[in-house]
Amino acid sequence: MSATLTAAPPVRYPPGDLAIWIFILAELAVFAIFFASYAFARMGDVAMFNEYQATLDKGVALINTLTLITSSYFVVRALAAIREDQRKTSVRWLLAALAMGALFLVVKSAEYVHHFGEGVRLSSNTFYMFYLSLTFFHFLHVVLGMVILAAVALKTHQGAYSASEHTGMETGGVYWHMVDLVWLILFPLVYVMR
Amino acid sequence: MNTVMKTQTAMRPCTRVYLLLVVLTLVTFAVGYFDLLSGNRALFLSLLVLGLALIKGQLIGDFFMGLKGVRGPWRFVILLWLLIPGTLITIAFTLAG
Repeated sequence: MSATLTAAPPVRYPPGDLAIWIFILAELAVFAIFFASYAFARMGDVAMFNEYQATLDKGVALINTLTLITSSYFVVRALAAIREDQRKTSVRWLLAALAMGALFLVVKSAEYVHHFGEGVRLSSNTFYMFYLSLTFFHFLHVVLGMVILAAVALKTHQGAYSASEHTGMETGGVYWHMVDLVWLILFPLVYVMR
Repeated sequence: MNTVMKTQTAMRPCTRVYLLLVVLTLVTFAVGYFDLLSGNRALFLSLLVLGLALIKGQLIGDFFMGLKGVRGPWRFVILLWLLIPGTLITIAFTLAG
């Protein structure tokens, strides 16, 4: 994707439908407010945030981060394949990306089950309130992203996209990359930084 | 043959970016896992980890979202977004000590 774009003359607008970029910017603005709120709320009780942050499993967060990065990479490969009119290959990459997304949901759900089993609730303390609401808000975006990717995979299978027309796949792809992008900030902020 | 070569050439930068993202993620994890964020270097390393996250975000924007090939204001939209929460988080963590 990138090499194709960088080799070509610069274009005025980003890949995909411009409407999805407006939607993405709105989503990113909400997450930015969430992130800043977390950081400034932490100032009120740094010791408490650090104490409960230590209860989170960084290994699980690592798996989830690698899962989303890999999934994003698979979407890039799917787009590269359709640009070469390799429809079946493109569908396979999209299905692989969906599998990675499903893995993320399974791992994250297991993490929630563990925390709820330990008695963690939104009302437990400010750290857990941010942790649960931030990560669940992102979780919902992963679900939406998977629905979009599944629709793109189905349309690709049906022959709706080709080397000359694949705007729909680009649109779905950039949304999925946004989901990945948000997690790349969320991971260090909530799980690592102290 | 020509098509295959074109595909392989096109994918190399993205594959390199993917591997770089993995390495930077492992570095972030290692900093947290080995509890390097204690004592007087906690703030420095926290901001370093944040910096790595911002670099990763820009790589996603440029190479995965395809903004590297875009000119005009859209070219920098992800960078701008990264700088806003990045700056606010830096201020909050610095003030918190």
